[in-house]
Amino acid sequence: MTGPLILGIETSCDETGVAVVAGNEVLSTVLASQMDAHARFGGVVPEVAARAHVEAIRPMVHLALRQAGVHSDQLDAVAATRGPGLVGALMVGFSFGKALAWTLGTPFVGVDHMEGHLFAPRLEHADFEPPAIVLLASGGHSQVVHVRNWGEYEVLGATIDDAAGEAFDKIARFMGLGFPGGPAIDRAAEGGDASVVRFPRALRDRPYDFSFSGLKTSVVTYLEKAKTGNAVPPLADVAAAVQEAIVDVLVEKTYNAVEATGVDRVAGGGGVLANRRLRQRLEEEAAVRGVALHLPSPALCTDNGAMIAAAGEFRLERGDVTPWALDVSSTLRLGS
Amino acid sequence: MKILAIDTATSASSVALGDGDQLAAMSVRVDRRGHGGFLVPAIDFCFESAGWRPNDVDVIAVDVGPGLFTGIRAGISTAQAIAAAIGAPMVAISSLTALAVRAATGRRRIWPVVDIRRGQYATRPFLPVPGGVAPDGEAEVVTAEGLHHLLDSDAEDVLMVGDTDDFPPGALRGLHRVRRGRPRYPSADVLLEIAAFHAQRGQYVRPEDVRPLYMREPDARINWTDFREEGAWPGAAE
Ligand SMILES: [Zn+2]
Repeated sequence: MTGPLILGIETSCDETGVAVVAGNEVLSTVLASQMDAHARFGGVVPEVAARAHVEAIRPMVHLALRQAGVHSDQLDAVAATRGPGLVGALMVGFSFGKALAWTLGTPFVGVDHMEGHLFAPRLEHADFEPPAIVLLASGGHSQVVHVRNWGEYEVLGATIDDAAGEAFDKIARFMGLGFPGGPAIDRAAEGGDASVVRFPRALRDRPYDFSFSGLKTSVVTYLEKAKTGNAVPPLADVAAAVQEAIVDVLVEKTYNAVEATGVDRVAGGGGVLANRRLRQRLEEEAAVRGVALHLPSPALCTDNGAMIAAAGEFRLERGDVTPWALDVSSTLRLGS
Repeated sequence: MKILAIDTATSASSVALGDGDQLAAMSVRVDRRGHGGFLVPAIDFCFESAGWRPNDVDVIAVDVGPGLFTGIRAGISTAQAIAAAIGAPMVAISSLTALAVRAATGRRRIWPVVDIRRGQYATRPFLPVPGGVAPDGEAEVVTAEGLHHLLDSDAEDVLMVGDTDDFPPGALRGLHRVRRGRPRYPSADVLLEIAAFHAQRGQYVRPEDVRPLYMREPDARINWTDFREEGAWPGAAE
């Protein structure tokens, strides 16, 4: 093992993720997903999420320690997500982690969830170092981040309305494809022809910002018109066209940032980065431009405890130990 | 028998350490939010003042509600983590029981009331018995109006305690047999007494079975996944 032994806890949204990490080596990573619980509502219900976390937190920490073959008193530190996220959900993992650290007499590190995503690529790509442009896209966030150095971040652009994952969710729900929308549309788009319809790409005039709320309206209007004209195209084609519209914008804004900053390294994080078409397009563009691309495997793109442990290790090494009196912060902002 | 008690189920948060009948240390704060910022500093303060180390604790008691959902979860998560790390058994106590135990001085039937927000209150009748209280009916959730009806139909002399200060004006009008009393909030020192009683009889709850007592379904219902633990906690001093 290289580096301190860290327990990472993530409970900012709908996944109870716990991992044990030493250096960049993931000794164990476990996840209690509430996906099925939220599926019927087409989105995450905060009180439902918080209730599931409090049931899952102890068993998940237990399981992560067992799978890593680590005793809790061997831990060098405990890291837990402090924000941003749902207060009730954050409170569970943050309280558990803080109390565990206090009892063990080890440092506690409250981690910015977004910084966690930035560190995820490191767990599989040891050579991933700043400066880099990182695309973060999930159901809760969509940002293009310039990582100048570890701990030094500039958010170049962000969504002005819906997050990319939220757009996938809303449209998938409307199309009756299920939740979460990203994977649902990804599957439905298989073999589809995206060129049957071109949905608008918003905010072309702003280099790094996103807007996805208009897309759903376009899809609704398009499908209703098609229905009245009795010319409904195959579902796969529409799903592919929706996917193409979202992916297009994400790829374009990411590489706008690459061009403007001259940075030659790109990475990604967040559940939307598990989308196969997005990964393919990011890869194609990276190859054309000759920049390095570090995409975490899908399990490390979605929320997980390992990325929190990884960011926690960095904070720990910098001496950024969290005081016991610090509480969760649902509105924590990267770089502030 | 050394006990750590944690209560964050209402607007009043408290932590207490007790050894037998002796209160060794206590910390209290009244704040509807901020349970998360209060807990570990308060625990740290109590251990420091009592001169205890975490491993000295034999039992951990926690208020599991009803009350403020986020506070309840913060308390349970905190208590479970400490219990896991030191391998201590737990005692789960209802906020209604904690209120009733503290109020049990006279002969009146006790109706503790806990504000669970959205105009709803949890309550349950208790009878004072030698050495404590005994539940004298089911726990239920009512509006202020519903509580008036409940108390009005109680033929006994009643002592109502708990968080009733925010009741709409006139909510308790005409209840001649009802006297209002203290405490307003449950607190950790009462949990110590109750936990000591259970501990003497070996009545513990397994830490993984300590769950919040919400007494209200979330707006959206789901079927919980049942998380089962296997084997001993890694590193716990069993
Ligand atoms: Zn995330």
